Formats: sequence, C-alpha cells, structure tokens
Amino acid sequence: MLFLLFQLGHDRYALDAGRIVEVVPFLALKRVPQSPRGMAGLFVYRGRAVPALDLCALTFDRPARQLLSTRIIIVNSGEAPEEEQLLGLIVERATDTLRREASDLVEAGIKLAGTPFLGPVLMDEHGVIQLIHAHKLLTDRVRAQLFNSLTEVGHETH
Amino acid sequence: MSGNGRCRELLRYVHCRNCPVYSAAAVQLLDRPVTEEHRREWTARYAHAHQVSTPARISVVVFQVSGEWLALPTPAFQEVAERRRIHSLPHRREGVVLGLVNVRGELLVCASLGRLLGLEAKAARQPANNTNSSTSNSSRLLVTIWEGKRVVFPVDEVLGIQRVNETELREPPATVAQAANRCCRGVFAWRERTVGVLDAEALFSTLNRKLA
Repeated sequence: MLFLLFQLGHDRYALDAGRIVEVVPFLALKRVPQSPRGMAGLFVYRGRAVPALDLCALTFDRPARQLLSTRIIIVNSGEAPEEEQLLGLIVERATDTLRREASDLVEAGIKLAGTPFLGPVLMDEHGVIQLIHAHKLLTDRVRAQLFNSLTEVGHETH
Repeated sequence: MSGNGRCRELLRYVHCRNCPVYSAAAVQLLDRPVTEEHRREWTARYAHAHQVSTPARISVVVFQVSGEWLALPTPAFQEVAERRRIHSLPHRREGVVLGLVNVRGELLVCASLGRLLGLEAKAARQPANNTNSSTSNSSRLLVTIWEGKRVVFPVDEVLGIQRVNETELREPPATVAQAANRCCRGVFAWRERTVGVLDAEALFSTLNRKLA
C-alpha cells in the first residue's frame, strides 16, 4: 500500500493513496458562513466546487500555516468507493510518501469517540505514523449538510 | 556532492542526493510562505476542467495509387523499394496479381491495389494521360506484411508516415467504389487532399480471397 504522509502539529499522519484524487497547492478558499468546525471554505477544482477541511483546525484549533509545503489533498470521502464525494483536506508538510504492506499496520489501542477517523498506526525510523480514514472525517450530519447544499449551489449557478 | 567528501554517510549513500539528511533539508525549502500572487495563479489554474487528452493516434503510410491518395496502417507496412521488374505469371495476366518481384532475394507476390479496390476502372474512364497506370507509372513498390505474409503493391508515390487521430477520420463518401469502400476505414484531410485510410484486416482478407 502507498501512503501519503503529512504533519499535524508535530505528529505525522498518513492517508491511503488509493483514496487520493489529486494533491494540489494551498489554493485560495472562499469562506462559507456558518460552516461546521474545521471547514475552511470552498475551492473550485476542475469546474466543481469542493469543500476544504482544515485538519489542523479540526484537531488543534489553529488554521494551517500558509506555506508551500501546506497542500490540499483531494480525497474521495464517499462511504463507498463508487459514490464520488470530493473533499479537500488542508494539511501541513505533505511532502512525502511511504510504501508499506497492509500487514505492517498496528491497531492504535485507543479509540476515542470524538475522533473516529483515526486509524491504525505504522512505524518507521522517525517514529509513529497514524493512518487517517478519509471516509470517516465527516459525520453523517455534516456530510448531508455539505453535499446536499453543494448540489443546490450547483443548480443555481447553471 | 558538496563539501570535502569526508562525510561518513557517503560510504553508505555514495552521493548526497541519495542521503535522507540531504533530502530532508531540501524539503525544508518548501516551508516558505506562499505569496498571494502564487495562490491566485494556482487557484485559477485548478479551477478549469482538465484538458481532454487527444484520443489514441493511429500511424499510417500515405501513398498515391491510380490517382487516389490512400493510407495503410503502419503495422502492415514494411518498406518502400525501388521499382524493379515484375515477372508475370502465366495465366495470371488479368487479375489482381501482377506477378512476382524480387525483394532482398525473396520472390514476393506483386498485386495491384488499383485493381483490388476497383480504382483502375475509374481512372481509365477519366481522360487520363496514362491508361495502364498500375504497371507502367509506378515508381515505387510498397512492401507490406500481414499475418507474416509479405505482399508488394506498386504505387505511384509514397509521401511518408503520418499520424492521424481517430476523431479526424470521417466516413468515406458513398460514391467510392464498393470494393474500396469495404476496405476503407475512413478518410481524413491532409494537405488539401483527401486520404483514404485502408483497413488492413479487410484489405488483406480481400486480397487473399482473390489470390486463392
């Protein structure tokens, strides 16, 4: 399995590359009023409006720094792979990949109700990397809010 | 490599570019702030839909025979040879087969594309200055290969290899002779000419039937 590595604060996290559509630079975002926590705004990706979730803000209550190494990882956050729900994840230091076997993943040992997206962990020479499940980042309520409202916006503009 | 070459890591990594310390330092270059101008530029670039890449291109050899511009898919093409003597075969003076030619020491069947595709009748009807174009005027021999069998076609001119997109191909006009139409995949415009792309599969199966 191929993983994309990034940092949140001082810790390293990984995303399964199979879920990633594209990694794009930190694009300018359009803020959305009253959006849920961590939701940084909207950006237009290849003619589609995609919501951007700031993982730094979501986990540490501080927005991602505006650096070249901060990138938006566009993932398919749909529950099933065939339903496409693009979501941009703003993460810091998305500069590396790692190839590991699925059997190298170790259960994290802690399961917190507030963070269902945190998955098993990997080890390398620099320490522990935790996998993030892209499809569990949004709660059902937020997902319904986001993707339903987005399709409505799309209809109005056409 | 920079420095005096005394770094111990060199024994292991040979060159700085293979060393994780070096690449970690390089990644730090990306920890620079983004300017608003860059961000605007990127935002505009990613907003547009992907340019649809052009569909697979097919490669064809363009040539002229009996006044018609034709093209054969390059996989069926082997080489162009100079005109040489065609040894006619007894009892085979009227059909598609013109005779045998010697190409690199091998005797190959030489067939008339004009007769096979029914182009010659059309050419003869027009007030052309040469009536027996398939044999006398041909300046080149097109050596082709299909399913391991080599066949030579005399042609008037070979213009070279051209790439066309599948989308550029249009239906051949209905006025084209039936035999030619069956062997034609489509036509495309090239240098103010209309070139017919032959379907190698259909062409050689028609030819094999005529040879039998």
